[in-house]
Amino acid sequence: MPNNPPDAKLVLSRVSARFTDDKRDVYALKDISFSVPAGAFVSITGPSGAGKSTLMRIILGFMEHESGTVVRNFERPAMVFQNYALFPWLSAIDNVAFGLKMAGVPKEGRERAAREKLKEVGLEHVADHYPSALSGGQRQRVGLARALAISPDLLIMDEPFSNLDTITAEALKADLLKIWRAYGITILMVNHLIPDAIELSDQVIVMGAHPGRIEKMLTVDLPRPRDTRSTPFFTRVDQLTEIIRSVS
Amino acid sequence: MIRSVARPQSQAWHRTHTQRFRRTWLIMGGILAAALLLAASGYFSGVSWVALGDAILRTTYRLMLAYAIALVVGVAIALVVGWSPFADAFFPFFDILQNLPSFALIPLFIYFFGFTDMMIILFAVSSIVWPILFSVLTAIKSAHTDLNDAASIFGAHGVRRILYYLAPLSYPAMLTGSIVGIAIGWESVIGAEIISDVAGFGAFIKGADVTGISQAAVAGMLAILIIVFIVNRVVWAPLLAGSSKRYAE
Repeated sequence: MPNNPPDAKLVLSRVSARFTDDKRDVYALKDISFSVPAGAFVSITGPSGAGKSTLMRIILGFMEHESGTVVRNFERPAMVFQNYALFPWLSAIDNVAFGLKMAGVPKEGRERAAREKLKEVGLEHVADHYPSALSGGQRQRVGLARALAISPDLLIMDEPFSNLDTITAEALKADLLKIWRAYGITILMVNHLIPDAIELSDQVIVMGAHPGRIEKMLTVDLPRPRDTRSTPFFTRVDQLTEIIRSVS
Repeated sequence: MIRSVARPQSQAWHRTHTQRFRRTWLIMGGILAAALLLAASGYFSGVSWVALGDAILRTTYRLMLAYAIALVVGVAIALVVGWSPFADAFFPFFDILQNLPSFALIPLFIYFFGFTDMMIILFAVSSIVWPILFSVLTAIKSAHTDLNDAASIFGAHGVRRILYYLAPLSYPAMLTGSIVGIAIGWESVIGAEIISDVAGFGAFIKGADVTGISQAAVAGMLAILIIVFIVNRVVWAPLLAGSSKRYAE
């Protein structure tokens, strides 16, 4: 059973989900239990087929689960996607303002807010560019600005760095940490990169595949800002690497 | 000394685009040259240009009106069905309707609307609407899950989802559906005019063939090719170029 702190943003208890594949019933997730405390940074990692994306969709209510309970103590979730998922017909600023427009915020207000968020992620100069004219890193930053624009109380990130080169990913990671500290948002991130998971997270959930299940939860209690060249950091990275090897 | 010259990134695209542009104009130039040659040789001497112009104008007007109606109807149905959770159930139903041999329905249209403009326009609508509807519906159904989820997370629900997500999402599909639809539309309008004998280009070439003046039919075909070419260059080509640029991955 998960630890259920009173201020948890999200609590999952024995959540299972199935889907039909070639007329066979397959468990996508089996007995998933964990909680995400308010303001925490939690990473989920694991091999392909562990149902991480399915889990995100269940948390957001886009997919039904078969059994168990999901307690959602959040009202405005936002998501940053691996493939950016920007609307190609909208400019960067209109993409960022999309959520505000849907919420009925007047044009002037939403444009001002969107411009502020773009400035925060260092992209004010490409506000009028369409996604097709932006680099991968710029698109992901627009995706992050779009998520921040609605002042989310839970930010879900699905492998946000996996399509980016190392330099861009490092810069985005630094910005993300800055934003997390400034806003105190609760973040749940799917991440395949072990050092990133240790650097960013308070807790790392390791999932196994077929069916998707939680194998281990690792609490990362290193002081922040984390020194990524320190011995304790490498010890944690080794520890997580061993856990992932044992479940793969 | 080695000198390097920067090559613009879009050079390959520009070259391909220019080649296509040249080829299109070459084809059109050929058509125009053939028409001028035939005209110079006196081939079109027996053609009544006023009657031909009147017939083409009537046909073009019917086609444009039919296209406008089909666009509104096709896109509206596709958006509402695509938005609903029953889209998959509607697909086979639309497919059956689409496969009904349209010209076999002409007696039905004549029964309800008589030998009128309205009959031909609505008959053409029944043909043009399908490629538009299917293109838009397919675009909505094949949209990337992430994009659908993004629209939902950021609040695109109900009518707002249709207006601000599904409609712009399906714009490129609407363009391609329109191009195919209009091609089918020419056939439907002209075919209906031939069958019903209602004044228009169809009735004109039917009369021309019966009286043995095939030059009029050739002149009419050339005129329609020129109209199609102009519409393609002035309307579809810029819209398609804009759409493929903006919607590129």
